[in-house]
Amino acid sequence: MIPLSVHAGRAPSVTLPLAYLATAATAFVLAALTLPGLGATLAGHYYHPRLLALTHVVALGWITLAIMGASYQLIPVVIERPLFSERLARWQLPGLVAGILGMVSHFWMGRWDGLAWAAALVGAGVIAHVINLALSVRGLARWSFTARGIALALGGLALTVAFGVTLALTHGSRVFPGGPLGAVHAHFHLALLGWIAPMILAVGARVYPMFLLAPEPAGWGATIQLGGLGLGVPAVAAGLALGRPALVLPGAVAVALALGIHAWWVTGFAWRRKRPTLDWGLRFVLTGTACLVPAGTLGLTLALGVGSGPRVSLAYAVLALGGWVSLTIVGMMLKIVPFLVWYRAYAPRAGRERVPTLAQLSWPAGERLAYGLLTAGTLALAATVAAGKPAAIAVTGAIVGVGALVFAAALGRTLLHLRPCAAGRHAPALPARP
Amino acid sequence: MRPAVLDRLPETARVYLDVREDLRAGREPFARIMAAVDALSPDGVLVLRAPFEPVPLYRVLARRGFAHWTESSDAEDWRVWFYRESAEAHSAPALASRATAVDSAGTDAPAGDSTVRLDVRGLEPPLPMVRVLEAVEALGPGQRLEVLHHRRPVFLYPQLEERGCRHVTDESEPGLVRIAIWRGGPAA
Repeated sequence: MIPLSVHAGRAPSVTLPLAYLATAATAFVLAALTLPGLGATLAGHYYHPRLLALTHVVALGWITLAIMGASYQLIPVVIERPLFSERLARWQLPGLVAGILGMVSHFWMGRWDGLAWAAALVGAGVIAHVINLALSVRGLARWSFTARGIALALGGLALTVAFGVTLALTHGSRVFPGGPLGAVHAHFHLALLGWIAPMILAVGARVYPMFLLAPEPAGWGATIQLGGLGLGVPAVAAGLALGRPALVLPGAVAVALALGIHAWWVTGFAWRRKRPTLDWGLRFVLTGTACLVPAGTLGLTLALGVGSGPRVSLAYAVLALGGWVSLTIVGMMLKIVPFLVWYRAYAPRAGRERVPTLAQLSWPAGERLAYGLLTAGTLALAATVAAGKPAAIAVTGAIVGVGALVFAAALGRTLLHLRPCAAGRHAPALPARP
Repeated sequence: MRPAVLDRLPETARVYLDVREDLRAGREPFARIMAAVDALSPDGVLVLRAPFEPVPLYRVLARRGFAHWTESSDAEDWRVWFYRESAEAHSAPALASRATAVDSAGTDAPAGDSTVRLDVRGLEPPLPMVRVLEAVEALGPGQRLEVLHHRRPVFLYPQLEERGCRHVTDESEPGLVRIAIWRGGPAA
């Protein structure tokens, strides 16, 4: 029996992921532009209202919204079925933005009275997202590594938000035996390793080979990655929240093993790729993955107790959130956004006339500049934060800020191709095919 | 003079591979070509389209038992047919039986010698979609396009339906998706 299927012709929405990605890019630029003014704060302790505000702009406004937006484009591709409800995803965006703005402004002002309400609004948006994706993958016939990783990430997201709302309501006092700082550490690692990491590992395993024209991965590596995160993250989070270092170390080792296998896979994709030249989006992704090495080393150092204190912790956070995650997301956005724009503006004309390639929608000079500024700036920021020098932090923060602006300009140039569509006119005709 | 064996081969035995865009973009198409050669059925013919005459490839594929026939419409459009000398000894192409299986599933897809095959594996998005839509626009009356793909192209299907095409997806082999596309008729 040959499995056959006839598909209903409903393409995944283009404007839905673009709305999330544009909002996320705006949050990234705002966060990056704030860095030069936070030199003195970043030279101090991380448990500071302004740094909590900055961390939530990055983790929620930039990373979470970017992952959600990318999910609405990539998940229909990787699981090969449509999203359960695009309408629900559209409605949850304003609620999420309002909630994130509320949380960040309360952190920034150092006022906790309205924080729980804003956090609850974010929680409602996250619950809607989790339900939407859970219903999208429900009844999936083949639970690939990617599908299992996405399910794991959604569980991690739900736990992170529940933990965060509890923190907002209680400020960590008398609830978590590890104390308020332990609770903050647990919340951070639930977000980083329970939500963001499995999503990057899962989607990357399917999407990186697609872009690098490399063979898809197979074998025992998938089990180690899912097992390492599935066992390691609860151990790390519980150990930190309960103040039990004996749980943290084995959990951290399991997580490091999972991330190490992921890095090994990505190295394999790059090594065995059929694509001879790397565009800037892929360079961002590969550089982001390379940041796992210093970030993971510092994380293990902290778990072992060899390193401690705000300097090492802040450098670790910059390398993990700014290096690994942010550079990866910047790279993915430089691949996803041109495709979405191309699909909306030019796919209806493809085959009938000559249409531009994705490369022609991009701005390589701007992407190259953004790559230089963001990668060098982020690594330098981690170094200056570790050194605790306010003036140097301000300078390296400014480099990251300019890099974020150039990145946003590169995306903006690509989005300009949508203008003729919005006006109901045809895009400028390209030279006819010879 | 065009070898007679090429005229006798059914359309279903032909695999078309266009590497002009790869070469213009600076991409090395050798791996794609060899992948297409490896995937050829015993009586299969590779019809390679390139912006120049791929002379070095003649020797490479000759070592694997392939003869070639080259034609050119202009200085930057070369079409080379790579075929096995023993091709005419083979009969009953594999695709013919697969086309029958598609029909038996209750569709009204045209089948048999009117099928054009297109291999878009190994292309970066959105090139597979561009290649397929170009081939769809070139389909003649009663012709069917069979696309070889790595995955279900979820963004392609709506474009096909907007152009009045019907399609059936076959995932009988791991890592290989075949999409049969034809024009007209009521929705299946």
